[in-house]
Amino acid sequence: MSDAAFSPPRPILYAERADKKKSPLDDHAAKAIAYLKVAGSKRRARQLAGIERKVTALDGEMRGLSDEELRTRGRHVSVALKRQAGFPEQVVAETFAVIREISGRLSGRRHYGVQMVGAYALLRGYLAEMATGEGKTLTAALGAATAALAGRPVHVVTVNDYLASRDAELTKPIYDWLGLSVGVVVAGQSVEQRRAAYACDITYCTNKELAFDYLRDRIVLGQNGGNLRLKMEALQGKRPRADQLRLRGLHFAIVDEADSVLVDEARTPLVISGEAKGEISTATAEEALGLARSLEAGKDYVLIAAQKRIVLTPDGRERIASFADERGREWRGVVVREELARQALSALHLFHRGEQYLVREGKVQIIDEHTGRVMPDRAWSDGQHQIIEVKEGCTPSARRTTIARMTYQRFFRRYAHLSGMTGTGRQVAREFWQVYRLPVVTVPTHRPRQRINLEDRVLATDNQKWREVMTRVKELNARGIPILLGTRSVASSATASERLTEAGLPHLVLSAAQDDAEAGIVALAGERGRITVATNMAGRGTDIHISDDIEALGGLHVIMVERHEARRIDDQLAGRSGRQGQKGCFQAILSLDDPLMEFAASGLFKTFCHMAEPVMGETAARWLLRHAQRRAERIHAGMRRDLLKSDENQTRTLAFTGRPE
Amino acid sequence: MARSLFSPSWYRVADLKLRLRSHAQIHRQQFRDEVWYVLQDHQTGRFHRLSASSNLFVSLMDGKRTLGEIWDMVGRRAGDDPPTQDEAIQLLAQLHGSDLLQGAMPPDFQELGERAAKQARSEVLSKLRNPMSLRLPLFDPNSFLDATMPLVRPLFTVYGFLAWLALVVTGIVVAVMHWPELTSDGTDRLLSTSNIAMIVMIYPLVKTIHEAGHAYATKAFGGVVHEVGIMLLVLMPAPYVDASASTAFREKWRRMLVSGAGIMVEFALAAIAMIFWVNAEPGLARAVAFNVMLIGGVSTIFFNGNPLLRFDAYYILADLIEIPNLGNRANKYFWYLVQRYLLGVENVENPASTRGERKWLFWYAVLAFLYRVVLSLTIALLVASKLFFIGVLLALLTLFSTFVQPLFKGAKYLLTSPKLDSKRGRALGTTGVATATVLALLLLTPLPYGTIAQGVVWIPDRAQVRADTGGIVTEILARPDAVVAAGDPLIRLADPSIDGRVKLLEAQAAELRLRHDAVQFTDRTASDMILQQLRNIEGIIASGQQRRDALVIRARDGGRFVLPNAANLPGRYVNQGDLVGYVVASATPALRVIVPQSEVDLVRGRTLRVDIRYASEPARIVPAHISREVPAAQLDLPSLALSTEGGGTIAVQNSGGPNNRPRALEGLFVFDLAPEQAQSQLLLGSRVHVRFDHGSEPVAWRWLRSLRQTFLSHFNV
Repeated sequence: MSDAAFSPPRPILYAERADKKKSPLDDHAAKAIAYLKVAGSKRRARQLAGIERKVTALDGEMRGLSDEELRTRGRHVSVALKRQAGFPEQVVAETFAVIREISGRLSGRRHYGVQMVGAYALLRGYLAEMATGEGKTLTAALGAATAALAGRPVHVVTVNDYLASRDAELTKPIYDWLGLSVGVVVAGQSVEQRRAAYACDITYCTNKELAFDYLRDRIVLGQNGGNLRLKMEALQGKRPRADQLRLRGLHFAIVDEADSVLVDEARTPLVISGEAKGEISTATAEEALGLARSLEAGKDYVLIAAQKRIVLTPDGRERIASFADERGREWRGVVVREELARQALSALHLFHRGEQYLVREGKVQIIDEHTGRVMPDRAWSDGQHQIIEVKEGCTPSARRTTIARMTYQRFFRRYAHLSGMTGTGRQVAREFWQVYRLPVVTVPTHRPRQRINLEDRVLATDNQKWREVMTRVKELNARGIPILLGTRSVASSATASERLTEAGLPHLVLSAAQDDAEAGIVALAGERGRITVATNMAGRGTDIHISDDIEALGGLHVIMVERHEARRIDDQLAGRSGRQGQKGCFQAILSLDDPLMEFAASGLFKTFCHMAEPVMGETAARWLLRHAQRRAERIHAGMRRDLLKSDENQTRTLAFTGRPE
Repeated sequence: MARSLFSPSWYRVADLKLRLRSHAQIHRQQFRDEVWYVLQDHQTGRFHRLSASSNLFVSLMDGKRTLGEIWDMVGRRAGDDPPTQDEAIQLLAQLHGSDLLQGAMPPDFQELGERAAKQARSEVLSKLRNPMSLRLPLFDPNSFLDATMPLVRPLFTVYGFLAWLALVVTGIVVAVMHWPELTSDGTDRLLSTSNIAMIVMIYPLVKTIHEAGHAYATKAFGGVVHEVGIMLLVLMPAPYVDASASTAFREKWRRMLVSGAGIMVEFALAAIAMIFWVNAEPGLARAVAFNVMLIGGVSTIFFNGNPLLRFDAYYILADLIEIPNLGNRANKYFWYLVQRYLLGVENVENPASTRGERKWLFWYAVLAFLYRVVLSLTIALLVASKLFFIGVLLALLTLFSTFVQPLFKGAKYLLTSPKLDSKRGRALGTTGVATATVLALLLLTPLPYGTIAQGVVWIPDRAQVRADTGGIVTEILARPDAVVAAGDPLIRLADPSIDGRVKLLEAQAAELRLRHDAVQFTDRTASDMILQQLRNIEGIIASGQQRRDALVIRARDGGRFVLPNAANLPGRYVNQGDLVGYVVASATPALRVIVPQSEVDLVRGRTLRVDIRYASEPARIVPAHISREVPAAQLDLPSLALSTEGGGTIAVQNSGGPNNRPRALEGLFVFDLAPEQAQSQLLLGSRVHVRFDHGSEPVAWRWLRSLRQTFLSHFNV
């Protein structure tokens, strides 16, 4: 920004949209309108399609410009964008033409029509649904650059650090050319680094880092975060709080992989915790675990797996009471002792090493349910963490307590301008509208899809499944076809790895335990004869390039060994192959022992499927697994709805504590 | 109960330093041997009941300690059951909702405004939802009450009470002594239009004094009264006072006295009126006294004295059995029972804190519900009879709020409540079975179905034996209950004057004949005159002889001779045209039954069997069949015995018909029934009870039919 160095004072120090109060009627209306909004997704795309013609019309003119002239042109459109609010189509078309030309000159990648339509949708505040592999990175760059030229600080939000840094790196030349600065926020950065990154025109970041940084800002701002107050503080000359903030407010967000960020992750609230007094002693924790081991499932307590909940029976309560009578004051009080017992039971039966947490260097570390990544700085609250630590033989850490709490729903709704992109948004399109007021635009594909979807195999037992997978992998591997094996959890990845090692097949594992090597593995995944094992989310957004000779073999072959808890995620995994009209193949090899079956309505179905197998083949089993998945989707949707509702209720209940963070 | 000690949102509360606003006051009260604290908000006049540990929590809030510190302190002090963080938050939210919290933070004006707007909206909504009792506040009577308090202060002493007691006892004694007068005066005057107008005038006056009783009682025990207004009860204006300040009184007898003051005042008024009524001369003043007695004595007991309605007696009962907020908690308890035992939800909180409360809560919930439904439907129907559309609207509203809305809520609860997550199968099963049972009972189970009507033992006009001429019965010629042929003599009457007059006339005739002979040839004119006179006398003789012949009453047709009071007849004088007996053609007389228009369709179309019971022998059922039916409706009754005044079921108006005969209000259809068995010793004209049997039909269809009829009849289709 050499000659555009003039930066006017920010009129609003920390911009965010105020939480809107809703009446129950609003909710009902939103629910009804959502249907209309979803129905209009294609029509909306057609309305936006006009931009393509306008940009193409300018194409010849742009090609004729010299580099210097193009830069000047960029400054012109920037002024034009700043002058007119609301991204008028003609100015946007000109901006797009400039950026497209720049991109073309830099890397030879000129934006396709669908990418321009997608980018225009972003500027309009829509959620662009673009098929997997349509080049969302470039689309986001087009939208982000235009918004940044209009003087808006832009946050491009993705799901993981790898994608954030990769996308930023990939598109940086374009921004440089336009004189826009780019920052990246990833885990492990210092506060100064973050502040600098957020001060850039365009910031690439992950949803977690962004939301947590915002939450930390909110802690600083507290109840006195008004614009006027911040400015007064700046005048007073003491160390103004405005300087301690990380973000510049919530202006313009482009959420990549929007269904993952806005839907899947929206199920769990973000929590920042600090150390609290009132530790649980090792002795008490051990007593609790001892008690929990002595309690019988079914008699003293009931385990509700689907809801991850433990319910004590009257018998169990009595046993706990008599146990507590002989113990010290930590066990006093009905609520206290039952809480302890429940936590100990959860530690034993609901939290398993390798699934929910890992033990590293004598510490219990949580594995993120969705990304499968280790979250070293997080802990379960209210003493649960300590009991698990004692269970694993670690020294219990200090008890942690919540300092700030936030839901993604509340967070993203505070953006002045929210937009998103996803490959698989249709199934949750209504939710996008209801929760975030994001209408979906279905952008057509650039080239027809060539991926072959083979029919699912559903085998009776886990063992049979793995045998079938291995046969299939060996067969494909022998032909030199690269294979991506998609699993659901880190533990499942480990099993896959074991099985492959047994079979003597060289492979690479892409999962939570090995974050650093991720990019390298992904880059290699498309090579001849390569076998890659990846969890659920590790696959998301990664672009696996394949060479022409591989495409001649039929492209990347994706084998899914477990269905995920939502169809969308399965589709994402499938979308790793057959990108941008390339060839590819996808097959699911599943079994009736899969953990997803916990969601099936009744165990009887499983017996039925076993019995029906000789007659109906795998049809019944396929249906059952899909049913279980649908049920899981419903349960999760319910959880998100409940979270949102309880969040709103809480805001109301806690009105006496002031505004929520 | 899976309560957690910690709340994920405690962090937002823990560092706050709050205290109660100065206008909040805490009173200690005892309910069922448990100590509770009642938090009084002097600004809004609302109350919150706090448990002991909540009270400790609130009391520790001094604006210096943080809530986190207070929670820890309470946890150490409250023994076995410290409040969980969620409970503490709930408590604080409730206090905040009433603007009772004060902290370092400035109040959030936007939130305050929204809350106020919401409250105003919900008040309007509750008025709309309950159009039968609208409250319109008028003014603040506190200073007026303060000024006039010295006048009534003596009443709130032991002597005052004794005086009241003496007055009321006197009143009752006087009333018992003058009971016959009182009741005889009552019936004919009560419902006359002028009296109703008087009641409408007096009623508000009496009720105003009643409310003044509440207000002064509240003041006498140290409370305040800040609101007086008019309540429209079923569109009838009645005054009310806000005596809720009495909730804060520590002694329950004081609270009860405040609630009971209104009734006591009315009793006193009634007693005074009674004494006045006995001693006064008839006139307007006495009529007023009578009505005051009526309102103060009778209506008070039915309205204010009924604990199932939310009037005075409800509050007295709630205080007496020490269950504050009885109505709401009773409903909650009932739903708790349903959830806990029918649906198997273990996670529900029991609103009954002590054992003794449970029975009260359960029965109150059930009885009050039934009473409320019956009462509101009655009111709706009453209104409907005057203002059809408004009444139907009210009835629909009542049905909606008592049945449809709860059903809808229940269904929603069943399908979506997270409480049921693990029990939904059982819950759905139980409710499914219950619903199916009720539906099967209503829709499928056939129940006996019949129409009940009344009729009379009917005699055709021809069968009546009447005296053709007046005379003294001298002899009964035919045996009663014997079969007689047409023309047979039945009864002989004697009239000596007829014989004498015939003889006299015969003598006169003879004289005239002689005179005629005498002048026949001499005076033509005189002869013609005498001849005319003679003819005249002969005519009179002929009619006299005819009358003499008529002294023997004969049967017109053959049949059974029925003489209802054969023993008393001889020696009695009967007038010409008097009914003396009957000659009934068939062995058993026909029965004439009337069926109101609303039921005729069923009787015509679906009568499978007819059973009758004679009034003289109600235990015996006699089968019968319809022998004749009149196709057109009529308004006059075949017998007055069928009118309500005659002990029957048909309402009549007294001065509508020709010849001032009573006419029915509704069209009637006449059916003649022929009993299958002969019945001797029948009292002709006596009542019969008839049941037209329509087989059996489930209840739901019957309701549907009567509903349809109600509407059809209204629209005259």
